Amino acid sequence: MFSDSSLLPIIAILPFLGALVPGVMIRAGRTACASFTAIPTVLALVMLGTLAPGVMDGTVYRAEIVWLPQLGLSASFFLDGLGLLFAGMILGVGLLITLYARYYLSGEDPMGQFYTYLLLFQGAMLGIVLSDNILLLLIFWELTSLSSFLLIGYWKHLPEGRQGARMALTVTGAGGLAMIGGMLILGNVVGSYNLTDILAAGDQIRASDWYAPALILILLGAFTKSAQFPFHFWLPHAMAAPTPVSAYLHSATMVKAGVFLMARMWPALAGTDMWFYIVATVGLVTMVLGAVIALFKDDLKALLAFSTVSHLGLLTMLLGFGTPEAAIAAVFHIINHLTFKAALFMTAGIVDHEAHTRDIKRLGGLARLMPITATIGTVAALSMAGIPLFNGFLSKELMLHEAAHVTWYQNPWIVGALATLGSLFSVAYSLRFIFHVFGGPVRDDYPAKPHDPPFGLWAAPAFLCVFVVLIGVAPFLAQPVVRMAAEAVTGEELSFYFKIWHGVNTALLMSIAAIVGGVILLGLHRYLDRLWIAAPRPEAKTIFDGLIAGVVGWMRGITGWLHHGAISRYLAVFVVATLVVGVAAFLGGEMGQQTRALTPIPPVAPLGWLLLVVATVLVVVHHRSRFRALVLIGVIGLMISLGFVFLSAPDLALTQISVETVTILLLLLALHFLPKETPVESSGGRRFGDAAIAIAAGVAVAGLAYAFMTRDFNSISDFHLANSKSGGGGTNVVNVILVDFRGYDTYGEIIVLGIAGLAIFALMESLLAGPAGRRLRNADYTLDRSKDRHPLMMVVATRVMLPIAMMVGIFIFLRGHNQPGGGFVAGLVFSIALLMQYMASGFAWTTRRQRLEYHALIGFGVVIAGLTGVGSWFAGRPFLTSSFGYFEFPPIEEFELATAMLFDLGVFLCVLGAVMLMLFGLSRLARHAGETVNKEPMEYDPSNAVAAATTRERR
Amino acid sequence: MTSADFSILLPEILLAVFAMAALLFGVYTGKDKTAPMLVWATSAVFALLALWIGLAGEGTNAAYGGMFIDDGFARFAKVVILVSAAAVLLMSETYMSRRDLLRFEYPILVALAAIGMMVMVSAGDLIALYMGLELQSLALYVVAALRRDSAKSTEAGLKYFVLGALSSGLLLYGASLTYGFAGTTEFAGIIQAAQGEIPLGLLFGLVFLFAGLAFKVSAAPFHMWTPDVYEGAPTPVTAFFATAPKMAAMGLFARLAHDAFGQITADWTQIVAFLSVASMFLGAVAAIGQRDIKRLMAYSSINHMGFALMGLAAGTAFGVQAMLVYMAIYVTMNVGTFAFILSMERDGKAVTDIRALNMFSKKEPLKALAILVLMFSMAGVPPLVGFFGKFYVLRAAVDGGMAWLAIAGVIASVIGAFYYLRIVFYMYFGEEADGMEAPMQPVAWGLLMASAAAMVFGVINLFGIEGVAAAAAATLVN
Repeated sequence: MFSDSSLLPIIAILPFLGALVPGVMIRAGRTACASFTAIPTVLALVMLGTLAPGVMDGTVYRAEIVWLPQLGLSASFFLDGLGLLFAGMILGVGLLITLYARYYLSGEDPMGQFYTYLLLFQGAMLGIVLSDNILLLLIFWELTSLSSFLLIGYWKHLPEGRQGARMALTVTGAGGLAMIGGMLILGNVVGSYNLTDILAAGDQIRASDWYAPALILILLGAFTKSAQFPFHFWLPHAMAAPTPVSAYLHSATMVKAGVFLMARMWPALAGTDMWFYIVATVGLVTMVLGAVIALFKDDLKALLAFSTVSHLGLLTMLLGFGTPEAAIAAVFHIINHLTFKAALFMTAGIVDHEAHTRDIKRLGGLARLMPITATIGTVAALSMAGIPLFNGFLSKELMLHEAAHVTWYQNPWIVGALATLGSLFSVAYSLRFIFHVFGGPVRDDYPAKPHDPPFGLWAAPAFLCVFVVLIGVAPFLAQPVVRMAAEAVTGEELSFYFKIWHGVNTALLMSIAAIVGGVILLGLHRYLDRLWIAAPRPEAKTIFDGLIAGVVGWMRGITGWLHHGAISRYLAVFVVATLVVGVAAFLGGEMGQQTRALTPIPPVAPLGWLLLVVATVLVVVHHRSRFRALVLIGVIGLMISLGFVFLSAPDLALTQISVETVTILLLLLALHFLPKETPVESSGGRRFGDAAIAIAAGVAVAGLAYAFMTRDFNSISDFHLANSKSGGGGTNVVNVILVDFRGYDTYGEIIVLGIAGLAIFALMESLLAGPAGRRLRNADYTLDRSKDRHPLMMVVATRVMLPIAMMVGIFIFLRGHNQPGGGFVAGLVFSIALLMQYMASGFAWTTRRQRLEYHALIGFGVVIAGLTGVGSWFAGRPFLTSSFGYFEFPPIEEFELATAMLFDLGVFLCVLGAVMLMLFGLSRLARHAGETVNKEPMEYDPSNAVAAATTRERR
Repeated sequence: MTSADFSILLPEILLAVFAMAALLFGVYTGKDKTAPMLVWATSAVFALLALWIGLAGEGTNAAYGGMFIDDGFARFAKVVILVSAAAVLLMSETYMSRRDLLRFEYPILVALAAIGMMVMVSAGDLIALYMGLELQSLALYVVAALRRDSAKSTEAGLKYFVLGALSSGLLLYGASLTYGFAGTTEFAGIIQAAQGEIPLGLLFGLVFLFAGLAFKVSAAPFHMWTPDVYEGAPTPVTAFFATAPKMAAMGLFARLAHDAFGQITADWTQIVAFLSVASMFLGAVAAIGQRDIKRLMAYSSINHMGFALMGLAAGTAFGVQAMLVYMAIYVTMNVGTFAFILSMERDGKAVTDIRALNMFSKKEPLKALAILVLMFSMAGVPPLVGFFGKFYVLRAAVDGGMAWLAIAGVIASVIGAFYYLRIVFYMYFGEEADGMEAPMQPVAWGLLMASAAAMVFGVINLFGIEGVAAAAAATLVN
């Protein structure tokens, strides 16, 4: 069945659909464009009208469309009294604004765009008041921020327009985001995101621990939107927008969204002390503050803007009181404020449009020049002042009545007094609007000659003024609407009767005091104004700008300090962060009992340990002197090798010591081309800090190691010890792991090693071509060169050593499978033997004597290892399965041959090739740097010297 | 290698074969001249693989005795990774070739990184985890320093490498501790050991593993590399960094957390929550002072990672689902935004100063509108899709009993909104200044518009990603 409820989503969506039209229609002319804008509004109004009687009778219409159920989001709408009131206001004023804007905007303004934004905004507002899901409400809420941003910024050429838009969006957007958090908590507390459910669960919410944060976050959203202190400053600055926008957004609709939300959430959130003190106090402060500032504003729109702030404060305060009577007053004032304030804004717009200025100081005497406008303005302003027989009087009276009966912090009169003060200023600025703009003599210096505008422009405010007077004279007309909305707010049945005359009571006396005081204040305005200008007062915009600039500067400072580009700081942060999480883990867990006793310390161990520590500390101390540091690193490596020996891992020790030797030798050669010293880069203080971090990290790692080693852990060693001989045919477990158990890994590793060798070579090649090469060529080695670069003793010694070293290498290679040794170590030993030749006798001399292509060596290594692996395929076994057998060739003892040995050969070749290739690269570097190449093993031929000596003797 | 294992791993293997074939092809034919062609071919392969994985994948399959797992979660992540990598590759082509940066290795390195990422999200074992991670990282180190003649770019690559190596070391340390105390590297085995009261050593292992992964997702305080690398790397590379690898690292994070340590969520949710809060706030606060849009995006990504981690911190299936949805949205937004950033230039030179955006809306209203949408979406302003992502993780946190985390998230998003909105201000209400151009190739234009449109039209049903993400999360958390 096509129920009435299904109209709701259509009403909500109509403006959005309609928004597409004006943009397209603009070519058809302004009137057509405006008409097409009006169509969806009218349609929506009609549909709303069909539902209105039902709502009046207390029916609540609901419609739900499933949207994102997992998120708890559904497109559900509902319409009750409050929703109907607001929807009617939004659409009604929207229609009037459409008409007004048609005549207000000039032909040059892109009107299609304007109407599109207007409809978008209207749709968003409608969505807020119709949503039955708080997430949906949030969405529409932010949509209003977005579309208002576009509307406020519509007149882009004005710098204030930009500023205003920026401030408005920053403040309301941030508030909206905060509200997301509040809504989320609310939904979590209630277990549903449906507004109906939430409103029904008021007691549960108020009792929840999360009430306070939810309330604060939601109020942040409401206060920013409704320009409540201390967020009130954005509203006046948003007034740079075209007047139709100001009239629509900043008096009638958007700023009321915050008030609407507070009213909507009233059953769920109101009624606590917290609610009262926050909401009522903020409202009260805003009301007085806004009214005071408004009196001293010379810009018509600024005056109205601050007056709006003040009236919004009034509404907020009433809602804050939390009583049903106050809610009635609030609802009534919402209607009244809408009528007179929108009319006033439009009047101000007409004045601006006709006289080309909004500056009150330049206006006056307009009553005679534009009587219709003056009448409209006067009626609306009198209502704003709260003069009897206009509707503003009635709701103000109700407000004063409520305020007079509120006790704030055991103080029974303060709220009433301040409310009267607010009203007093309100009277003053309202009368100022009348007398300083329309009253007084006609001037002759208006920027343009003012006269009444065409009917289209004054029709809308006049229409509103009809309501001002009608309600003012016959308040019972508004009664059903107010009751309907107020009952929706409070959720209970209310009975009340509006009357013009209540007899002489406190509220009336307060009202009289306000009017009399207001008139006096206006009389004194000229003097007060001077005082106001002279007095120092905080300018919200300056504060806001200063705040933003300050925050930005501050953030930039933090970021600049944290990310200042030096990797040392990044590393420090990284290490400290790791330490912190480590400590956190340590504190969070339970450390088990120590299960392993400490082993006794043999005398040699502390000595080695001490040496290690001393060498390490010395490296840090002397790291700037590179050669010294290198020597010390060598010591550390040696100590580690000894440590391996001590812990019965001779194989590791052997590997470690040969790797150590090769790297130190290569580093020594490389350092030759680099500066001998590292420059000082950090101050003493920083070094101190770095040292602290390093020590802390070191202690932490040591502690961890100690903790782990004194507790039982599973080790895989036993498996290898047990299976090494039977599975891999070798007793050297390390070697068996390398070439058999983990042969795959080793195969990969030798390839990586080979690639590394090639890469170093290639990098040096490109290095020489670039600027580094140029630097090398021009290098000026200040170091004194030895006269005797290739000392005789060295040459002789290394040559004697060569065959022995090779012998050792082969020996190590062969025994590798069972005893410490293996291809890797053998390769390194060979490399060392060759390296020594190069160092002692010079590169060129050595190269000429050995003709192995290093690239090829690496390649051979990989190929041999690979082929060994493939070989096992022929035996029908997976890649790299090793097999071994025992052979006996008399007279040699029985010995073992394993395919692993072939594989080891590959490793051997690869290591040798890679190391030599690196050396080759280094020597190229040396020659580039102007190193002469020797043909002979020594600089001078000793035999020549001997011959020369003999010749000398003969002479 | 049984054929069953092989077929589960087939997409990765095919991609690897493609990468190596492309490398050989590039080296032996036209070298850099083949680059544009390789870019397109790689993107096409990515897209095809994404289609294949997305449509044909079914059920949960484990290969190599559980080392490699192909399940709904992995497939979700892989599709996001591949699609975003393809998009970034395509839009970078013009930028790079115009600046003489388009080397043929670039698409190949991206492909290698993609393989690494695919292995990461499918890892069922610490060793597979590390292998995937390193394959990805090594490729990324190289591409970060792709502009070899720029000091900034090489510095970025070097910094990334040094810090990355450190984080890898930390991760390995954690892995070996975990192995030492759990007796296995397999997630399925670790979860057996990690139940109830766990030994301190295992807790250390967990913490260090997470710290290493936090580096990869650039979560504060392990984020230090991000701004410099984002700024220094060529912009297309930055775009790549901001998209696919983030998804991969996040996926790996979730997998490790739930597959290996899923029984002791109480032990790690606090850590992840801490990372999340730190990242959200640092990202939001630090970005405020930035004028360079690439740096700004770096902080923005740190901030977003904080939000994604919030989903993980919830420790629930819904949390993982939220994280997946968040990441998918994040990646989409970033692709669009970077498509635009790549086109920002003045007098033919790339500009990255956000003040160059002044009054851009006058010049190019449509593009400005698209960026407006993307920025609002990034800020998490309803009704754009970015809001749903944020709301998802916030809700996951609240449901997971971490309302304080959600509130912190809200506050951070309020702070973060500031700088996104500032970009919009510059475009719409900025001062009249030297403008900039944004000439765009059809591909980049299409990506920008598609991404912006997705942010708007995605609100209808999030393109059905919810259900897929829920199914994916369900395969991970049970």
